[in-house]
Parts: sequence; structure tokens; C-alpha cells
Amino acid sequence: MKRLLCSLVLTPLLASTASAESKQPQSLGALEFGDDGILFAADAKGAAVFALEVGGGEQQGKALKVEKLGEKIAALLGTKADQIKVNDLAVDPKSGVGYLSISRGLGADATPVLVRANGGKLSVVDLAKTKSTSVSFTNAPEDKVTGQGRRKANKRMESITDLAWIDGQLAIAGLSNEEFASTMRVTAYPFTGSVGTTSLEIYHGAHGKEETHSPIRTFMPLDIAGEPNIIASYTCTPLVCIPLAKLKPNQKVKGRTVAELGNRNRPLDMFGYEKGGEGFILMANSSRGVMKVSTKDIGTIDAITQRVAGVSGLSFETIESWKGVVQLAKIDDKHAAIIRKSDAGQSLEQVVLP
Amino acid sequence: MSILVRIWAFVCLLGVSALAEVSFSLSKDGRSFVAAGASDPEKLLVHVDGDGDLPAMAGEVSLIERGLLFSPQFPLTPGVRYRVSVGEAHRIFAIPESDKTPVARVAAVFPSAGILPENLLKFYLHFTEPMALGEVSQNVHLIGRGGKVVPLPFLELAEELWDPEGRRLTLFFDPGRVKRGLRPHEEEGRALVAGEDYELRINAAWRDAKGRSMASGFSKKFRAGPADYAQPEPKGWTIEPPALGTREGVRLNFGEALDHGLLERVLKVYHANGQSLAGESAVGKGEKEWHWKPKMVWGAGSYEIVMEAILEDLAGNSVARLFEKISGMTETSVVPGHRLIRVPFVIKD
Repeated sequence: MKRLLCSLVLTPLLASTASAESKQPQSLGALEFGDDGILFAADAKGAAVFALEVGGGEQQGKALKVEKLGEKIAALLGTKADQIKVNDLAVDPKSGVGYLSISRGLGADATPVLVRANGGKLSVVDLAKTKSTSVSFTNAPEDKVTGQGRRKANKRMESITDLAWIDGQLAIAGLSNEEFASTMRVTAYPFTGSVGTTSLEIYHGAHGKEETHSPIRTFMPLDIAGEPNIIASYTCTPLVCIPLAKLKPNQKVKGRTVAELGNRNRPLDMFGYEKGGEGFILMANSSRGVMKVSTKDIGTIDAITQRVAGVSGLSFETIESWKGVVQLAKIDDKHAAIIRKSDAGQSLEQVVLP
Repeated sequence: MSILVRIWAFVCLLGVSALAEVSFSLSKDGRSFVAAGASDPEKLLVHVDGDGDLPAMAGEVSLIERGLLFSPQFPLTPGVRYRVSVGEAHRIFAIPESDKTPVARVAAVFPSAGILPENLLKFYLHFTEPMALGEVSQNVHLIGRGGKVVPLPFLELAEELWDPEGRRLTLFFDPGRVKRGLRPHEEEGRALVAGEDYELRINAAWRDAKGRSMASGFSKKFRAGPADYAQPEPKGWTIEPPALGTREGVRLNFGEALDHGLLERVLKVYHANGQSLAGESAVGKGEKEWHWKPKMVWGAGSYEIVMEAILEDLAGNSVARLFEKISGMTETSVVPGHRLIRVPFVIKD
């Protein structure tokens, strides 16, 4: 019998520091809203995550709609559209205001900018005047041996592939540019000065093969029968369900593979929502479409034990009308904000969830 | 702004502003715009010249002796035309384009060998200049049999994997296709097939961080060899100790190519008493060797090369564990990734 299950190995905590100083991010990537208008922003270059007090306030009531998004952001920042990269999008669930993390400039020294989208109006968030705290971690946690004198510049970096706010905790997934390993850090907010670091590993029993330590690409929280879980998409495609309560240091935890994606479906971002009393996960697959996965059976479905033709595990459908979606953010259980790429350029739109 | 508005109101009361004719200029440092004779901070706007519905550029207006000063929040960009206006009065400022002479080249690609395992996990591309981020997918292609482009061989990520300077890119092969037993592997197979010839092609159109295209493209031709399913085995490594009283390098030979990025980072030299030693390391030809040259003269005694067990071969098998494990296959060494491996050597009197 073929077997497919996932395991997590948790390694010891890694010390880090929290700071309430007016430190500025060196880069801005993944964005995620916590509670009460706190926007978490990943700074991979600075090896930190910032908690920016930008949100909250009253519901603005204006649907997000910005045509020619790239040109307009470039104009606001006084530059050309080819100098602008939109890294991520998040929407404050309280106010409905959108936030975009932007790189102004082409290289690693690009200026990080946070742009606010209120209805159709764009403005720059002044990070120097924004109340914030940050939590930092070292870019080379394995590099414990030091004191060699003239050491070459450390080329190791960890990109922060995703952030998720789960049950009062912030989970941070990292991917090294050297060793093929995954890092999952979990920290409480307000930041307390330490971050639990977890190395995630995945083992496959399918076809007599066993797989190890594949990094997580994107993940999201999901309540299953009242218990908080992480739904994680791995770089090698399984969709895995991990109970948050089991994520404890120095323990090996088994998760369940609830879907195995193929056919070039590689989720870059995802979130969960409810419609008509049923739960769904929406996944953006680069520019190749958006998938909707029903979570109706996620609590009861067996771990995938056998390869079947076509889709394994949970059923999902491709949303044909959502072509060219490059960014996806939940607004509420009825709406999402998307950035869509077409021949006319990029546009920010508010859409009804499928 | 509110203070400025109050000052402006005061100036207006004095009857100064209404009569002044506005003239525009760049500030002496070339970073800001001056609107001499202007007095209403709300009316001074700077736009990137283009379609009418573009928002005004972010910046601050301050009152100066001659009128108003617009200080952009971000530096002016070479090659951009800015339209500075106060009401109907306006002037276009064209910031000269920067030198676009191409200079960037590919400095090296690792692994460097001409035959690479079909389960190769990654390439490192080194550039002579910091490069533009976010342009990998349109500028790096794998060409296979018959000159055809191999579709989607590499791992797609929202954020590309660069070093802090933007000079080294890590390009992972799609692990879902490399590893056996997964749907992408079974449906599409590996991007590399043993016995086939390939070319890693880098377009000269790739921009560097200053927006210049590259001075030349790059091509690495190689053949795919059999998959590597074995871990690096420290017991099989050979060490060439240096001679007493010299500053010769110590040479560690792995017998196979290992990961260039990790070889640059995870090996260090210690005296057996635990004291770390200062020196310089280099990755040897074909990434099969590691050299280390001390600052001091070697004295008699016991030394060790210490490395982290995360050191990988070209297929992602580390000293700690296999990249993928087939049931029934025994790992030669299963050690936690953070463990240190020690290779001792002795310099005799």
C-alpha cells in the first residue's frame, strides 16, 4: 500500500531581539494583517519583520480600483514604471484600505516603499512617522563558527516566502539561498524578544519513496473543528495540514497531506474564506490562474494514501475568469483584492469571491 | 503644511504674492525644484510628464526667500521629464539619461563541470555588477534537445534568491520535478535527462541594477549524467597537510563536486585546542577541493577542519542526510543539520 504522510521536526529556539526603536526596513516583501490594524511586513534584506501601526479606522466604503497601477505608483514615486516592482498586497479588514509593498529601483539596493490605496487614491505611507516595532533574526543561523579573520562577505540570505497571523501568533516561512532547507519561525505579538525557529521536514511514503526537508512556499491559517491549523503548500507541491498545537520545539509532528498538486499548479499565495456555509481556499498560481479548493472534507479526509488519476485529495477548480492574477488578498468573506496583469498593464481591483 | 499655509496667509495679507510672476528652476544641488515668485504651497505640484490622470509626485513644499521649494520624497530619476506647475504656469525639466553603456557580464556559473547529475538541484549565477531583481524568468532559459526551450525547469518564487548585493543568483530546479514519487515528476519528468545535452542561456537583455543591459549574454553547455543518490561521505575525503614552518595551504579533497555556495561558507580551520585560526579559503577547481591558507606559520600540532553538516553535493544530498530517500536505502550518516563535522590533520615536528 502506498503511503503519503508528512512529518515536521522542530529544532531548538533561536534567540533574536525585538526592538521598539524607529528602525527602518531595508526591504519590503510579504505583507499580512494581524488584529487591530497592525500590518506585518517582511524585510528579508534586513532579516526582520516589522509590525506597522497603519491600519484600523472606519470602513472607507470605497471599492479598490486603480487602473494603470504600475504607472500611477511610479508617478507618485517620481520615477518610470520599469523602476517599480509590486511585491505584495494586503487589505486592512477593518477599513478596507489596501497596502502595497513596493521596490523603487531595480537592484538589491532598491528603496522599500509602502503605498496605501484608498478606493482609487494612492498615497505613500511615511514609514519614518509610522509607529512600528520589529523582530529580527540572523541571516546565517547555522553559521555558528566565527573568528576566522578576513571572512568573505556572507552571501547567505533568507527570503521570507510568507507570513501568517494565526491565533495570536505570527508565523514566518523562510527559504535560504544556499542550503535546501525550510525555516518556520513563530513569534508572539507584541514582539517579546524571542522567536521560536522550526525546521520543517516532509516525508513521503508514496511509491516507496521518502522525501525530506522541502521548504514551504506559502501557508495560511485554517480552523478545523475549532482547532487552529496551518495549511502549507510545499515547494514540491503537496498541500499539508498541520495542527498548530503540535508545533512545539524538539518534537516530531505528523501532518496530513490533503492534496497533491500537479499540472504546474504552484501556489504563490493563498487564503481561506467561507461561502454558503462551506469553507474554501483560494490560491494564486503566478499568472496561470486562480484555484478554489473546497475544505469541506479537510477535517475528515484521510491522508493521501494512493495516487489516483488527476487530482488527489481535496477537490479543486480553476477560476477561469480570474486570468492574469498576480496578487491576491482577502478583504472579507465576500470580497478579495487582486492585481491583474493584462495587455493594458496592471490593475488593482476589488472582486467578489467565487 | 499647516504652518506653511499660515505663513502664506500672512504673506498674502502683506500683498506680496499676488503680483509675483512665477519662474521655475532646479535647486543648486539638482535635487529639488524652485518656484520663484510662487506663494501658495497647495498649488505647487510636480508630475512625471505623461498621461493626465497620473498622481502628483510625493514630496514636501517649503517656503524660501524667493518663493517655494518642492523637495521630492524620492530622488529624481535620470531619463524622466518632470512637469513643475503652479496653476497654469509650468515648466518641463528633463533629467539627463544616465550612461547606458553595458558593462555587466556573467562572472561565473556554478557548478562549473561539463557533466552534471540529472537531479542537479541548483545553479549559482555570479555577475560582475549588481543586477536588476525580478527579471530571471524572462532572461534565463534551459535549452534542451533540438534547441528547444525546456518548459518551467526552475522553482518559481515570488521573491528571487539573491545575495545581499544582488551579484549572485541562486537558481533552484523545481524540486517537485527533481524528486521521484511526486505528481510533477511523474507528469513532466525531470528537466534534465541523463545522456542529453543542455545549454543554460542567459540573455544580454537582462538589466543590471542601473538599468543597463549586459555587455554580453552567457551560455553554459553541459551534459546531464546519472542521478546522484548518495550523501557526501567525509570518511572518503583526503587531506593534504601543509609542511611545518610554512604558510602553505591545507587542501581538502572531496572526490566529488560539492555546492559552491556552501563551500564558501561552512568550512573553518581550528587548532585542536579549540582556537580558531585566521586565514583565507578558496574553492578548488571543479568544486571538488577546498583550500585554506593561514596567516600564521604552521607549528607542529593537531588541527581540524570543521564544517557544518548542511554541506551539500550538487543534488542536494548533505553530509547530514539524503535529499530524497528510497525505502530500504540506508543513509550513510544521519546527523542533525546543525551538527559539526570535524576532519583532523596533524603537522609533525
